[in-house]
Amino acid sequence: MASSKASRLGEEYLERTRMDKVNAELVVLTYGTIVVQLCKDFDSDYVEVNKQLDKMGYNIGLRLIEDYLAKSNTVRRCSNFRETAEMIAKVGFKIFLNITPTITNWTSDGKQFSLVFDENPFADFVELPDDGRAQDELWYSNILCGVLRGALEMVQMQVEAHFVSDVLRGNDTTEMRISLIRYIDDELPPEDD
Amino acid sequence: MATAIPSIACLGVIGRNNNPLHTSIFPSYDPSTNSFHPVRTHLQFALILSSTLDVFELRSRQNAAAGVGLTGDFGLLHAIDDRLAAYGFETNTGTRFVAIVDMRGRRLDGAIADARDKRIAGAAAGLREGEMRPVFKAMQMAYTRLMQNPFYDPDEHSPPAGQGGKKITSRKFTEDMRRIGETWMPGVGSL
Repeated sequence: MASSKASRLGEEYLERTRMDKVNAELVVLTYGTIVVQLCKDFDSDYVEVNKQLDKMGYNIGLRLIEDYLAKSNTVRRCSNFRETAEMIAKVGFKIFLNITPTITNWTSDGKQFSLVFDENPFADFVELPDDGRAQDELWYSNILCGVLRGALEMVQMQVEAHFVSDVLRGNDTTEMRISLIRYIDDELPPEDD
Repeated sequence: MATAIPSIACLGVIGRNNNPLHTSIFPSYDPSTNSFHPVRTHLQFALILSSTLDVFELRSRQNAAAGVGLTGDFGLLHAIDDRLAAYGFETNTGTRFVAIVDMRGRRLDGAIADARDKRIAGAAAGLREGEMRPVFKAMQMAYTRLMQNPFYDPDEHSPPAGQGGKKITSRKFTEDMRRIGETWMPGVGSL
């Protein structure tokens, strides 16, 4: 039920709006340049590059969530984390990247799931450097983890997101693991004494 | 009855500083031993590729003077002997693609059955104009894909200073070249 509703929302959005589109190559090349520049700046310390990408994504996510809420026409909160996952995959990714990752590998407590990316526009044409380390250390699309973390934090969900496999590294799939840590209670403003 | 047909013996990519970027060599059919061997050594192919540079320069100067063919297919550059012939293509950025064709590199087994076979066999006598176009088209596509890879630094491979440069190490590009060289035969529409 929730699943079909979410995909309908995503489709509806695309139909409803003559969305401003941006040339895909421009996005791919811009993102590629960022990653390569980070690799240069941090002297190919890929662990640090991953961290920086995540941080950049986090800052994007904090802002992007407003845009998402405005565009997606959602009127109420998701009732559970499963619904959240549906909305991320079928509305969020659909609106911003025009892709729909597959949701799989739920844990039984419903707090962890995987997004499997059949296509990843960021990674078109990319071939990781052959220095023997990039293949093991760099998560090329790590910015997406940060985006999700930032965006969900703004709607009272603290999550942890990381990639577990990437076709760029030679894996069969590109998979991101997302775990709900806790719902952040709306903090009350400190009382005036 | 077997007919010898042309095949690609070598594909070369040359940078704008006349620096070799990539060379792929493909084996040709040898009827005496019934096996596949490259018809020249790596060094000999490198020399043939170098020798095409003068032709490229001459042609582009002629074209500039005549105000035609600013870029693209240069056609037959030179026939090396009765077997090998070099064809060339130059992009606007000065990157050059060379295909060295072995006119008897493959063998078509059996009788000439249909129109397609007939066309291929007919081409053995001499390649028609435009026969190499799919090859260069495919090479250019592969090169474009390579350039889109953000980890590929064009300045490292063809420095603006005009001296030297690294060779292409991309696995995807090498694989593309191998595919093009092995699948092309006269009459192929696209690669």
